Amino acid sequence: MSAQLWALAAVSVVVLAVAGLEAFRSSRARRLAARATGSPAAEPYIVYFTGESCTVCKTHQEPALARLGDVRIDRIDAVAERGLAERFYVYTLPTTVVMASDGRVLHVNYGYAPARKLEHQLAEARRGNLVSAAI
Amino acid sequence: MSTPGQVVDHSALKVNQTGIIATVLVAFVGSAVLRPLLVLIPLLAIVLLVGTFAPRLALFKQVYFLVLKPRGLVKPRPVQDRPEPHNFAQGLGGVFLAVASVFLIPLPVVGLALALLVAVLAFVNLAFGYCLGCQIFFQLERRGIIRARA
Repeated sequence: MSAQLWALAAVSVVVLAVAGLEAFRSSRARRLAARATGSPAAEPYIVYFTGESCTVCKTHQEPALARLGDVRIDRIDAVAERGLAERFYVYTLPTTVVMASDGRVLHVNYGYAPARKLEHQLAEARRGNLVSAAI
Repeated sequence: MSTPGQVVDHSALKVNQTGIIATVLVAFVGSAVLRPLLVLIPLLAIVLLVGTFAPRLALFKQVYFLVLKPRGLVKPRPVQDRPEPHNFAQGLGGVFLAVASVFLIPLPVVGLALALLVAVLAFVNLAFGYCLGCQIFFQLERRGIIRARA
């Protein structure tokens, strides 16, 4: 039994270390990406970074984006448009960036973002629009 | 480059990952009481390696294609995708399990940890769709170290 426990402990340490590094990397990238800007639009929109090699994009992210309905989605091939991907600190695919209508970055999601999360972020962006329109 | 029209049934991949996780867990937990259950790890390594080079002999995928799919127990999920990265990932899992098998008798902690790591990665793929083996394949392919068969 002790071999199992030691093995479990070793794997747990590896998994926790990887998860910690990933959390650090994504929070740093998110902070840096928030400084980027995009083009203004009538409504909040999503910049969606994908790539040919991204399976999760096809199996998870694209169906989630399709569920959002009438939302502008700018699809970017992160490999072909490396400059743009670097501007948003894209280090993993898929990455979705929720942009305010004035072109500010509101949310950056590294990895798969479910439809509900994106809907929530878009709703927040629209509320922001209403507030700025009222002012 | 992906060939347009190539389709991979992702349900077959999910069944494969489930099979890997279940086998490793049975070997891992079961061997605490019944040590011979450790033999499941080298057997799984063989199953994965054989399935990589002869997909018709991939045990878990065949269970899906011959039993689960025809009986409607698991719905097919065809996705436009390339099979090579997934095969590579499976082969990599097989290699890790083969190395784990070598360590099982002299250094059981190392052997069990490696096997558990394979199960964890299979779980990450099953639950979150992130395939580390596929990423390694794309990186190696980009650097021209490996090439998918035409």
